Parts: sequence; structure tokens; C-alpha cells
Amino acid sequence: MSRHNISRRGFLKLATASSVAITAGITGLPSPLRASSKKEVKKGARFLKYDRGVKTTNFCEMCFWNCGVNVYTRNGVIHKLEGNKLNPNNRGHLCAKGNAGIQSTYDADRVQSPLIRTGNRGEGKFKKVSWEEAYKYVHKKLNPLIDEYGPETLATFMHGTGEPYPHMLTLALGSPNITIPAYSQCLGSREMAWALTFGTGVSGHETYDMANSKHMMIFGRNFAGSVQVRETEDFAEGLARGAKLTYIDPRQSESAVRATDWLQINPGTDMALALGFIHVIIRDNLANMDFVRKYCYGYNELTEHMKKYSPQWASKKTGIDAKTIERIAWEFAKDAPNVVAIPARRHTRYGNDTQTVRAIAILNALMGSWGVPGGIFIRNKVPLNFPKEELPDAPDARRADGAGKGEKYPLAPITLGRTNGIYKATLTKKPYPIKAWLLYGTNPLSHSSIGVNGIYKALDNLDLIIAIDTQFSDTVMYADVIFPESTYLERYDAPFVQKDKTPFITLRKPAIKPIYDTKGCFDICKGIAKEFELDDWFEKSPKEQVEELSQVLSEEQMKTLEKDGVLLFEDVNPYPCASGVTPDFATSTGKVQLYVKDLEEMYKKQGDEFSPMPIFKDPVMPAKDEFRMLFGRTPHHSHARSQNNWILLELQDDTPVWMNPKDAKKMGYKDGDMVYLVNAKTGHKSDHSERLKVTNRIKEGAVFIHHGFGHTTKAWTRGYEKGTKENWFVSDGVDPISGAAAFHNGFVKVVRA
Amino acid sequence: MSLINKKIKKDKNLAMVIVGDRCVGCDACYVACKTDWDVPALKGAYRTKVFEVEGEDIHKNPTISFLPTLCNHCDSAPCVDVCPTGASFKRDEDGIVLVEPEMCIGCKACMVACPYDARYYNEELEAVDKCTFCLPRISNGLDPACVTTCVGESRNFGDLNDKDSNVAKLLRDATSIAKLKEDEGTSPNVYYVTVNY
Repeated sequence: MSRHNISRRGFLKLATASSVAITAGITGLPSPLRASSKKEVKKGARFLKYDRGVKTTNFCEMCFWNCGVNVYTRNGVIHKLEGNKLNPNNRGHLCAKGNAGIQSTYDADRVQSPLIRTGNRGEGKFKKVSWEEAYKYVHKKLNPLIDEYGPETLATFMHGTGEPYPHMLTLALGSPNITIPAYSQCLGSREMAWALTFGTGVSGHETYDMANSKHMMIFGRNFAGSVQVRETEDFAEGLARGAKLTYIDPRQSESAVRATDWLQINPGTDMALALGFIHVIIRDNLANMDFVRKYCYGYNELTEHMKKYSPQWASKKTGIDAKTIERIAWEFAKDAPNVVAIPARRHTRYGNDTQTVRAIAILNALMGSWGVPGGIFIRNKVPLNFPKEELPDAPDARRADGAGKGEKYPLAPITLGRTNGIYKATLTKKPYPIKAWLLYGTNPLSHSSIGVNGIYKALDNLDLIIAIDTQFSDTVMYADVIFPESTYLERYDAPFVQKDKTPFITLRKPAIKPIYDTKGCFDICKGIAKEFELDDWFEKSPKEQVEELSQVLSEEQMKTLEKDGVLLFEDVNPYPCASGVTPDFATSTGKVQLYVKDLEEMYKKQGDEFSPMPIFKDPVMPAKDEFRMLFGRTPHHSHARSQNNWILLELQDDTPVWMNPKDAKKMGYKDGDMVYLVNAKTGHKSDHSERLKVTNRIKEGAVFIHHGFGHTTKAWTRGYEKGTKENWFVSDGVDPISGAAAFHNGFVKVVRA
Repeated sequence: MSLINKKIKKDKNLAMVIVGDRCVGCDACYVACKTDWDVPALKGAYRTKVFEVEGEDIHKNPTISFLPTLCNHCDSAPCVDVCPTGASFKRDEDGIVLVEPEMCIGCKACMVACPYDARYYNEELEAVDKCTFCLPRISNGLDPACVTTCVGESRNFGDLNDKDSNVAKLLRDATSIAKLKEDEGTSPNVYYVTVNY
């Protein structure tokens, strides 16, 4: 068996020489197929034994959804992961990625010890060092930078359950530049639009009540293809119970195939379609006026504003027949309020994203789908008073990313920040030089808003790159010092408290001791902090935080949590509007804002893009011989993090380029031809050729590839250079309201290999 | 219910019933199965797999559907018939088709005979390997690994002789029932159904 295809058992065999920790596991490694000795074969007897092993409770870290996981170990070796039936995030199921979590732990390609760079940046030459040496290195390198440029010269990127610790470290050092890519590279615009309309975001654990819905109108949110388990379940369940599905997407995704109506819309015109629906709803008196009168602000203004957006107008923009727009608007309204209009999750597309989602939010408001079954449910907090966490004072320094009051993007939340703002600041040295990055579980070279070229240039401006990660991502390979994090199966984390339809607490406990010389993120950040004499901020370890739960939970609750891994708080009402309870809307008017007063001033000063009600502007279009570059999720991989996981790589290790048959004919291409992508703006040509997939499933004028591939890190012996990195070909736009990225105005040429 | 096999007598009539349109094609089953049974890391080595089938409807619109596949535990199993050593055999009590690795000589005749491509050669075991309907798990009170993890709750497993079982109910309520390659005379035990809830 080659090194490139290694099973867990194979891994364990290879690892025996070097690792004492797991040797015990190997000698006793049980397998139903190996269990019987050669002596006497009782045909099939071996198939009756199953040692489930020891259970520890955990939650998944293969993606941000954090499904409940029961981890089963036999003799100290993890054998199997299974979903925790009691966890509302997944109800016992795991997706392919979740099931493949073991392979990410038993992986010789992981970062195995603290490392300091010895070769050139990105060359991949490191020396193994002790933890003390690595901590001291950070101090030695960072301190002069802080002296010269101020603490704000450090910018931090975070993604993962250990986020509180780099956050704490950065604040304690005095830098305000803390960013979470989930905002500006993913759902920032969507959350902004929802908050401006309803006073609260959709949240990471989205509040669509799909299982009970009569009609789901989905604007390119691929529930079946991106697989966050509960949502995929709810989507399938809603359809099985007979819900209509209107699915709007230039690409026929795994979700689109289940649609009652799949509307293959012109890219960049989702807002026009939503405005067309709203026009019909108002024109034909289809709005839920009871809800509108009670809870909405600005219906008269909206009525006036929508007059110009007729279905005929919308048809011209979207390419969807006007009769179809009318019919679907009527059908949607007929089932109100138990309907839901759903925007994309990663809504970083055309630079009009906040306003597009505003239009979709208005659709929900007009249906009165807020707080009712089948519409949008209300999240409830875990009803406990946790001791308040003490944080360092907010640093005085101005942020570098343009987020927050008085900055270019005053509405962008400083708790999440704008990664794209930090990239740009690092590149341009404005408003001040960013000289150090701390990367926790993030990988800008695979997904950013200034493209791969931009990131390479930004890296050149850095004097220090610190990485905390389980694996060598493309960007971690450029780090000066690397701290290896234990995987989620090897470490404690703080209790996971989820505000939700049914709120709950869940726990992560290590199933095994770390295989390599790794630590949890808490210990790593505390170790760095100690060098700066700031470790007092790191008072309670994750394990101690778990134990501390006994101060707020009853003995019985504590027992349940220990036994089940989950503690539910079920006495809640997710449907206030259906049960006569007046909901709270935390907007500036206290109402659902069809008209957003908060935007008035910016609208006057800066124009249509800030209109209190969405105004449609035509998207920028590719030139005649160019294609719009679209990308999206595959069900088989998580972000750009899982493409070295052998079992997931088996499911997908390439990124065929989808092209419409009419375009293919014009270009003289046929299905299966090998092609390169060339960025129309920068001229960058993809590193290697890809197979052309000629299909009606993609709209004319656009091409599509899956996200997360094309890694340049040679440390990934299996995932290296598999597929193409779409980030070479995306646009560097910005949504003017949220400040989040806009990727889908990137154009490519498709040339024959 | 003429589709249910009645040719051979079994105490238990174990079957997999797959609600076709609940499969979202996520391949969780593929990974759960490979992990539980240490199926080696090789493309083509798997006990269950989901195929994505692209097509066109009458209006020339593109369609795709997902087809989960596994061993059909046929009542008339060609793999058992061709096995020269008796390593491939069908259990009398419940109809599960197994390979006893100690008896397998690796001639691969069964792999050729299987119309469902449900077997692979396991180099670590030096034997042909395949789906066991998770016999080790179900013998110990658990559902098969693929059923346990199925995100769309598409896969269902149980005893058709038990009228109250989920699978028996699904077959009673089904608006359509299909089995793969029945014309080959295999009498398969994996059912693909559509259901109106």
C-alpha cells in the first residue's frame, strides 16, 4: 500500500516504531475480521462479535456546525464516530465529513511538534523545537514589532472552537485586529440584512423551520450539498411531507434537483427576482396584512418603491418567465405564513448582497413567516446565569479593517471584523503597517477576498507569521513558527452552549491522548501569553470550565450531561407569533423594517447602494469570450481543510469545470476535454488542466467548480495539487453596507489544454 | 406484495428498504461503512456506494437522482453458486450472504458473477470482502452503520417477516417499489421505494 493511500490500520502499523502512546492500542487492535485465529473455522462465527468499545462524548470539528458525536475507542484506539441522537444539531446522524473525522486524527501528515522555519518562507523547511523555544521565539520576534508599530500591528484570524483563546491573547497584547472569516468571507451580508430587517441575524445555526414548511423558496442555499446535518435532515423531511420547493440558482445543485420549480436564474439577479415577487404580492393584495400592521415599519413606502419592479421587468433581468414569477408569488402567498424565503449562506457574491438579502427578508415579513411553524423559528437562550468572563479592556488603537463606528463600514461588527480589510491593510500598509499575523485554523491562501496573488504579496509585508493548526495548510506552510494543535478527538474544549430552537449544552472530552506532541489552543495561547507576562488572563482551562458547570447546574443536570453528552432545555417556545406572544424586534424602530431608517443618512451621502429599500442595479458582465466564475460546496469536503483526508479524497479529488452545452458548442469543446482556466484580469492560468463537464446544469455564460481544492502545500502528501483553487479566479469586490467580500464578479477564459 | 421474495424459507427476512427521494447523495454511508469495517483506502474498495445518475426529463431539463448501492443479499445468489470453496455462503437463518475469509482462495469468480459489483478484493485480508448487512452490529442490537448515519433517513433496515417493522410498513405504504436487475433472476433483498407521507 502506498503512502498516499493509507488506512487507519495501516497508519497504526507504520506509527508503531515512533509512537509509544499508541503501541498499546495496536497489539490489542481488535477487528471482527481478525478476531479468530487460524485454528478452526466456524463459518461466519467471526461476524457475530462486535466490540463497540468505550464511549466518550464530543462534538464534531470537521465543520463549524458542531454535530454531537459519540466517539468509540477500543484499547485506546478510536474505532468509530457516531452521531449523538440527543444532540439537536444532528439527531444521531453524521455526514461523510463527520464520519471521516478519525482519518484526520490518525494522519502522519499532521503537524507533529512545534516548528520554527529554517528555509525560505513557503519552502517547507522547519526545525523541530521545544514548546519553550517556540513561545520564546514569538516573544523575541513580536516584541520589537510591538515596540516599533504598536500592538495593533498584530492581526489575528480565527476559525474553530478554540477561538476564545487567540481572541483573549490578541486583546491582552493590546491589538483590536481580531477577525473571524465567517463574517466577511461568508455570511456577513446575510446577517447584516436580517439584522437591519428583523433586529437579529439568521445565526450560524440557521432558523429556518423547513421540516414544517409548506413552501421553501430558496435562493441558492444548497442544503443537500453543503450538508450541515440538521438542516439537510429538515430539508429532506419538509420535502417528504410535501412542501413545495422553489429553488433559484444558475446551477442545478444537489438541492435544485428536488425542486418543484428550479429557476435557472441569470447570475447576479436574485434581487430582481425577489423584487418581482414582492411587486406581485403587493399588487395582488397577497401580503399577510395582519402581521404587517402589527409588526412592520414602512409598508406604505415599500408599496410606492415596488411599483417599478413588475414581473415583466423582473423577467427581463432574471431570464425567468413573468408568468412563472406571478404563479410562484401566488403559490407562496397561498401557503403563508407557513412558508420561508431563504437566502444563501455564503452570501459573498455580487457586491449587492446585503440588499439582495434585504429583499428576501422583506418577502418573509410580507408573508408573516416570523415566529411560526414552517417559517422562521425563534432561538432561545440556555436559561442559566453563567459567571461573566472577564476580558481585557478594549484596545485604544484604531482597527485596521474599516469595521465599526466612524470607519468606512460603520455597521460591520467589531466582534467579527473584516478579514478582507486586514488583508488589504497588510498589502497597502494603510491605515498603518500590519507586521504580524496570528492564524488559528485559518488559511487565507485558499480562500480570501484579495485573491491568491494578493495574499502572497501581503505575506511578503509580514515580519512574523504565527500559526496554530492541526495541519499544514497552504498558509501554515508560510508560517515562521507553528504550534501544533491537538485534534478535537484529543482535547477538551470549553462547554458548548447553543442558543437554539431547543437550546442545549454539550461537552467535548478527549477520547485519546494526543498522538503527537500537540496541545489544545488554550495551553498554546497561555504559553505565548506567559512570555509577555499576560498569562493571568488564562485562568481556567477548558477542563476546569467544564467542571465549573456544576456551579450553575443541578446535580441531576450534571449527571445527564455527563451521561448523554448533551443537556437540553426544552421548556421553550420557538413560535411566539403562532401562539399570541408578541415577539421582540431589536431594530431601531422596534419593528420589522421593510424600510430601514438606519440607512437614510448613508443613502443621502453615498447613493442607491445604501437605499433604505433595495434598488436593483445590473450586475457587471463578462466580456464575450469570458465566463463568470462561480463556485460552491461539495458534500464531500469541508472548506479548504479536508482535501488531505484520504477517505474524503476518495469521494472527490478533482474539480471538473462545468460548462453549458451551448457555450461548449460555441467554443468547440466537448464533454471530457481538458481545459485551463485563465483569470481575465490578472492573466493567471490554473496550475494544471481540469476535465470539462458539459451540462445543462449550469447557466450559459458561467462556469462552476467546487470550492476548497488546488492546495500548494507539499506537506499534504495526498491532497497536494488535487483539483483547482478557485480563489485565483474570484473578484475582490466589497459589499458597501456589510463590508463583506464579493467573489462572483470574477471572469475567466477557458482555454484548451 | 408479490415483490417480496418467497422462494426460500428464512426465520428472518432481512431487507434494506431505501426511500429513494430521501437520499441527498452525501455519501455519509460510504464513509461510515469503510470506517467501521476497515475497508482499505483504495478507490473501488467499498461495501456501499452512492451513484449520482444524471439524466433528462421529457422537457429536456437536466435531472439527477442518487442511487445508493450495496450487496443485495440475493435469495438466488450467483456469487454463492460460483464459489469453488464454499467461502461465499448464504445464512439459512436470515438470508445474509457472507464470505468466510479463511476459506476464500481469492479466485474472484464471485466478483465477476455479482451483477451488482458489490464485492472487492481485500489485500489485507487476502480475501474477497463485501457488505454483511452489518451482521456484527445487528447481532449486538445495533442498526447497520449506513442506516445509523443516514442523514436523509433514506436507508431503513429490518425483518420483513415482522409486520410491525419499519421496513414492512414502508413496503406496505410504498407508492412504488423497485429492485435492481431482477431480470437476472437474483431475487435481491434491497428495495427502492417511493412513499407518500
